[in-house]
Amino acid sequence: MKYHDYLTRRYLSRRWAPWAATVAVALGVFSLLTVLAVMEGFKVEMRERIRGTLSHLVIEADPFRGLVGEDQLLRTIKSIDGVKAAAPNVTTLALYKVGVMDHCVLRGIEPAAECQVSDLARFILSDDEINEMLKDRFMLLPADRDSMPVEQVEQLFSLERRRDVLRWRLQEDPGSGFSVDSPPKPIIVGIEALRSGRLSMGDVVQVSSYSPITLEPCSDNFLVVGAFQSGVYEQDLRWAYTHIRSLQDTLELWDDEAEDMRLSGISIKLDDYSQADRIKGEIRREVDRRMFLDQDHPDKIPLRSPSFETWEDKRANLIKAVEIEKRIISVLMLLIVAFAAGMIFLILMLLVIEKERDLGVLRALGATRSGVVSLVLRQGMFLCTVGAAVGLLAGWIFLENINGFHDLVYQWTGLRLFPPNVYYLERIPMVLRWQDILLVSLPTLVFGFFGSILPAIRAGRHDPIKALHHE
Amino acid sequence: MSDLSTSLPVISARKLVKSFPMANGSELKVLQELDLQIEESEMVAIVGMSGVGKSTLLHCLGLLDTPTTGEITYRDGDRTWRSTDLSEDDRCQLRNHFIGFVFQFFHLLPDLNVLENVMLPTVISQETGEWNRNRSKLESRGESLLERVGLKGRERQSPGTLSGGERQRVAIARALMMSPKLLLCDEPTGNLDSRTSESIHQLLRELHQDLSTSILVVTHDPDLASRADRRLQMIDGRFQNDSADNPETS
Repeated sequence: MKYHDYLTRRYLSRRWAPWAATVAVALGVFSLLTVLAVMEGFKVEMRERIRGTLSHLVIEADPFRGLVGEDQLLRTIKSIDGVKAAAPNVTTLALYKVGVMDHCVLRGIEPAAECQVSDLARFILSDDEINEMLKDRFMLLPADRDSMPVEQVEQLFSLERRRDVLRWRLQEDPGSGFSVDSPPKPIIVGIEALRSGRLSMGDVVQVSSYSPITLEPCSDNFLVVGAFQSGVYEQDLRWAYTHIRSLQDTLELWDDEAEDMRLSGISIKLDDYSQADRIKGEIRREVDRRMFLDQDHPDKIPLRSPSFETWEDKRANLIKAVEIEKRIISVLMLLIVAFAAGMIFLILMLLVIEKERDLGVLRALGATRSGVVSLVLRQGMFLCTVGAAVGLLAGWIFLENINGFHDLVYQWTGLRLFPPNVYYLERIPMVLRWQDILLVSLPTLVFGFFGSILPAIRAGRHDPIKALHHE
Repeated sequence: MSDLSTSLPVISARKLVKSFPMANGSELKVLQELDLQIEESEMVAIVGMSGVGKSTLLHCLGLLDTPTTGEITYRDGDRTWRSTDLSEDDRCQLRNHFIGFVFQFFHLLPDLNVLENVMLPTVISQETGEWNRNRSKLESRGESLLERVGLKGRERQSPGTLSGGERQRVAIARALMMSPKLLLCDEPTGNLDSRTSESIHQLLRELHQDLSTSILVVTHDPDLASRADRRLQMIDGRFQNDSADNPETS
């Protein structure tokens, strides 16, 4: 009916108080949308970074048993349909010492193979980049930075590279005192280990660990020949790469029984990650069948099988934590929207009380009870919908330019609202998904409906006679 | 008084009872088996002390309230409606088309201007598209009604800028907008000074003569009552037996 829109327009165009509720709804929607988009951005960014340092599938052996038969294992895995590449690794916890003592996760890799299964080549820094990063402690590698050619990555682990680094170091710091003729093993450390001053390029560090075979401590000298930046702060501080053969040698991983060097695990890259669960099962079956059942004594209990995990399984807790954080913040932010709907309720209630006589006149002139209910309900839903639309639009504009706004605040006030060293991100990440837009708008409209329906029902219950009785 | 055999009444109430429950459990009978007929183009005045049930009767006749027992019949030409058979929608439609209300306190909507107030019943009765199509026709009808009640040129003013008498004139124009068969006036001059009341009496009388609308006026004002075709004295929820045709007007 005509009078709903007609009177809604009249009532709302002559009062500012109802629009305060709209502003509150808009602010609530704006905040909720912004928080959801930024949290989603964080999640995507974090997943991307974690994924970069891990490969699609990771096979990890029991640390005390390890895997043997590297060639056969790799051949078996690569023969499975959907597997693109596989690379062996040895991983150990280690202590290192240069002046101070610290610990790290030391990973022995085969450089060329590792580059095929993970984003290592994208993270490894050139000498120039290392120098720049040491000067600017907030600098991050641009997301679109090209990967380092595999030959260059391999070259970092070469004897020649170690000679060059040692020569350079001796020139810079003649007191280092190591002989160029007996170069230590190569080690590539995370950029934060250099930035924090724990290590520097050309340092010869004593790395100590224990051998899972002899269960004896073992140590070796390693030379810092390069650095990487994965974008995950903990990894950039604590992780280090060396050549797999060097680490196998240090940890004395020769398995007499198998007459082979042991591995800690195998990283696998797939053609299509969405097939990961299927391929994981196939690989498990193949590896278990070939490696862990003693062909001569099939009734013997097989060796403990290694774990087979996708990178998401491996970091499930971390990924879940961010997901839960996002959910909790959404619920908290929804309270703002609920508060705004509460404002709609109060304002409509006041309007209904103020307009009691008008509503009585409308009833006397032929308006139905449901017509009066609908008049009030429409006003509430109109205010709520406008608020939601304005909030969504403002949120979208803000999110599209979030870093521009951030820079502007920094220019005006000198205040960094988003310090890159805290979050290890240069820009504020943001991903606006339609699911999140729905997650914002639907509850807003539902809250708006509940905020409007009670005053509307009250308006419908008004007795027109009482309303018309007084001036 | 019209001859019942030739002309059927616009509204007739039969054995109308309206009672309200009291706090002590007993019932207060405000209308006591009351009968009333109003003929086409008849102007009837109901007078009586405060609290005798005049307004309750008006509310029942105007379908704002329902009688406890009894029946009211509304008639427009061949069509009749019985109050006992009416649905909520029918009652609203009758209030909109058949009945026009004039209240003691005018009850204009302050958010609408004078012309919009007059056109309000059409806004309620018509769908958006229909109303938009008829808008210019409806506006000119509203303007001519305002001219008729002496408010030409005041169409765009806010009701707040008008005097009491002028507001009541707007209310009368609004009540006539749908050309109702019956105009119910509840103390139309109860809130006005004697001079302004006189002009409203005059206006009601003139409108009654010009238009074929039947008018029922509830009033304390003996002057207004004296201008009606018929004057009914109400005492304790009943009409007094001696109620008769007004000698001045008949």
